[in-house]
Amino acid sequence: MPATDFQGTFGRSFLSFRRDQVDSNTPAAGSSSHSMEAELDSFQRQVAEKFTDLNASGELLSLEWIGKLLDSFLCCQEEFRAIVFNHRSQISTSPMNRLISEYFERSIKALDVCNAIRDGIEQIRQWQKLSDIVISALDSRRTVGEGQLRRAKKALVDLAIGMLDEKETSLAHRNRSFGRVKDSHSHHRSMGHFRSLSWSVSRSWSASKQLQALASNLNTPRQNDVVASNGLAVPVYTMASVLLFVMWVLVAAFPCQDRGLQVNFFVPRQFQWAAPVMSLHDKIVEESKRRDRKNCCGLLKEIGRIEKSSRVMNELIDSIHFPMSEEKEIEVKQRVEELVEVHEALKNGLDPFERKVREVFHRIVRSRTENLDSLC
Amino acid sequence: MEKPENHAMESETLDHHKSDDHSDESEQQLATETPKSDSSSQLSLTQEMEAVDDFIQSLSSSTDPLKEIPPSVEPFPETVDSLVSKMESSGLGRDEAEDSAFILAVNRISKSVLTLRELRLDSTPVSSWLNRASSVQNRAASLLDEEFRHLLNRSREKNKNNKNADVSSDSTHVESDRCVLQEEETFPDFPPESISTLKKIAGAMISAGYEAECCMSYEMSRRHAFKEELSEVGFEGINVEDVQRIPWESLEGEIASWISIVRRCSTVLFPGELSLCTAVFSSDDHAATRKRLFTGLVSAVTIRFLDFSGAVVLTKRSSEKLFKFLDMYETLRDLVPAVEQSDSDLIEEIKLAQTRLGEAAVTIFGELENSIKTDQGRTAVPSGAVHPLTRYTMNYLKYACEYKDTLDQVFQTEPEQETRRNQREDDEEYKVSAFGRQMIKVMEHLDANLEVKSRLYRDPALRSIFLMNNGRYILQKIKGSTEIRDLMGQAWTRKRSTELRQYHKSYQRETWGKVLQCMNQEGIQVNGKVSKPVLKERFKVFNAMFDEIHKTQSTWIVSDEQMQSELRVSIAALVIPAYRSFFGRYKQHIDSGRHSDKYVKYQPEDIETYIDDLFDGNPPSMARKRT
Repeated sequence: MPATDFQGTFGRSFLSFRRDQVDSNTPAAGSSSHSMEAELDSFQRQVAEKFTDLNASGELLSLEWIGKLLDSFLCCQEEFRAIVFNHRSQISTSPMNRLISEYFERSIKALDVCNAIRDGIEQIRQWQKLSDIVISALDSRRTVGEGQLRRAKKALVDLAIGMLDEKETSLAHRNRSFGRVKDSHSHHRSMGHFRSLSWSVSRSWSASKQLQALASNLNTPRQNDVVASNGLAVPVYTMASVLLFVMWVLVAAFPCQDRGLQVNFFVPRQFQWAAPVMSLHDKIVEESKRRDRKNCCGLLKEIGRIEKSSRVMNELIDSIHFPMSEEKEIEVKQRVEELVEVHEALKNGLDPFERKVREVFHRIVRSRTENLDSLC
Repeated sequence: MEKPENHAMESETLDHHKSDDHSDESEQQLATETPKSDSSSQLSLTQEMEAVDDFIQSLSSSTDPLKEIPPSVEPFPETVDSLVSKMESSGLGRDEAEDSAFILAVNRISKSVLTLRELRLDSTPVSSWLNRASSVQNRAASLLDEEFRHLLNRSREKNKNNKNADVSSDSTHVESDRCVLQEEETFPDFPPESISTLKKIAGAMISAGYEAECCMSYEMSRRHAFKEELSEVGFEGINVEDVQRIPWESLEGEIASWISIVRRCSTVLFPGELSLCTAVFSSDDHAATRKRLFTGLVSAVTIRFLDFSGAVVLTKRSSEKLFKFLDMYETLRDLVPAVEQSDSDLIEEIKLAQTRLGEAAVTIFGELENSIKTDQGRTAVPSGAVHPLTRYTMNYLKYACEYKDTLDQVFQTEPEQETRRNQREDDEEYKVSAFGRQMIKVMEHLDANLEVKSRLYRDPALRSIFLMNNGRYILQKIKGSTEIRDLMGQAWTRKRSTELRQYHKSYQRETWGKVLQCMNQEGIQVNGKVSKPVLKERFKVFNAMFDEIHKTQSTWIVSDEQMQSELRVSIAALVIPAYRSFFGRYKQHIDSGRHSDKYVKYQPEDIETYIDDLFDGNPPSMARKRT
């Protein structure tokens, strides 16, 4: 179910609903502790289901899969919002007031991650433009001349530089030489320069530090808190954990400033959703340790594919002598087709994905402002 | 053929290749002649280009597979190649005629390459010509790309230097003058020659099929330019989290600079960017490219502004923030026209950010209502003066009215329940703007609160004075501002004036009713004769009352000077004629007796004097002693 379904139900009508609704915790509304327990249980179950589904289907860390992860987040978020709303009289008392305000502090940290990811997406778009050049230069429907090969080669070199992990960029700048005879003004259209345009976050911002901040003090709720809050402490903990996990995945998958994945993420087995979430977590950690992905700028599957096909293409071009043999021609055609495949998936998926990230941003903001307004 | 690596090496290879295949003397002459005699090579160049045109024509019309390249066309790649070398060292933008000739040549080689590439080539001479031509085309495109970027960036550098320029430097002298004049008006500051060159280059690159490279270079350079603009005014990336932590006083400063840079974008930077885009990618064919480039640039910049406003909206609500939020709302509203030429997604985002600010403003304004409702001090304001709550509220509302139109917009988007809205539409009183309704609500709360506060006074006369003071203050504030007055409407203002008059009457009745009764002629005459004891009693009572009133009510305050004088005048008009007539008629009956002073304490003139002491707010010890 797309997350946008919820906008109708919980958008405007939600706010006006709030003003007139009798607090469902009062006896007059006829709500019993039993139904609250059911409500909270249902939430735990829903989270577990979502993550079990993510474990089972889709290609881990592909754009589509991460999109699905975001959808799951949005669903859980809406459910959480409803729970908070239904028991809002409790929110203003201890310990919930403290727990909720802590949760919202965390969610604000997530906003910065969403913004930083936007830069990462923008970088990928630049790579796409370069891929586009390669694809159109080596389009096999037309005769490929030497000039086209050179054009493709240049784009591939730019692409390779652009995909370097940011720590390696400075090295690359020093070591490469491309026989430029022009003055220093004409900087190579290297992605290092593009990266320096970090628009969305301050220069000192660090994705790894932000993740660590999101993870800090994320402890399973204490027994007395659970009791004192009629169990509401548990969904708060759940949502905070889900939030951390989602942000962690985004940072893992996309290029971003000071990208580091060292985070203590552990959920004890007592929670229904612990197993599927931890399983995903472990799989992703394993992926990050693989030799071929260790120094990549992002674990997104499509990034790996672009890297691979562009590297192969680069090597192929280097091996071509003119006039091109038929063998080489066929090989070029094949490699181009591979590149097109990766390219298409991203081309169609990247814009909607960015919108989804923006949606996550907006939902978190809305949740926070509702909370602020209710405090007035 | 060697690997395509180094350009310098590459042209050598071409030459070798050429000398191997073509021992035609004229070709060699062309190769050596080109750098020397411009006029003859220009002629050959024109002839060559004509030949190429014919060649391309024939390709499009003929169905037979091409077997060989016509000799007039054969040397064209090398001709262009030397042109490229020449332009490489001299650069574009120096000689317009040269540039145009170059571009024409590049366009032709591009066209021939593009056309040939569409064909299936079996013939080796044709393939090899295509290879040479495409290499040269690629080389030319790379040169154009570099020149493009160079031009774009050079102007930026110049601007940067000029901002700190010392005028003594010759080459920058003209620019710096222009810069100073135009700094506020034009952005980006490209001289028209540069723009014309940029336009040529863009056109050539796009025709050559190198649109992607052209756009990437353009975007890169413009983004850097914007980044510099923003850094210059101190607008760096600021995290949502940090915004939450900054104290309001500092945040206000950030907001002020945000407002200034967004305004600058609306009025100067974005329109300037659109002009540049339109000038460089001017052909009708480029419309989609223009839109895409413009959208990309303004989106990237605007989204950062929206990040900031979004972060600000997340901070805790407090009444002092209202006006800054409204300022930001207005600034975003004014930004929309400047980005109209871009994608609708961006405009939606801006509107969403506006809505957030609007919602926050509504909440904060609602806070005002709440704070009035909950202001329940148990201590009455001494002397019945204007209550601080009245002052605060009225000043807040007056300030708010300066944003009346914006607040109207903001409140109009607030969802109202259907029933309430229908009710309002029927009610004449509510044919008032959305914000007007809010104002009335606030006033109603204030009135109710003042009503409660007035009951803290045990003395009903003081109660009336209190209500008069506050009512008057409110009325004056409203009359003093055309915005509020128009907002509240005539009927409302008239109603308040009527209320004031009623309070005045109450006061008079409470305080002076009994005093006037003293001077009533009824009951003074007993059996047709003036009763001295009754008269004495009357005078005594009058004096006591008057003394008491004077003592007490001199300490009361009526802040509004006009109202103070009106009160005094009305009291005087009430009391003095009555006393004068009473005094005049009955004084003689007491005069003859002893201790007449004891009874006839006041002369009519004295009454006037003492009345003037009333409502001065003076402590009792300062009450004037009778001389």
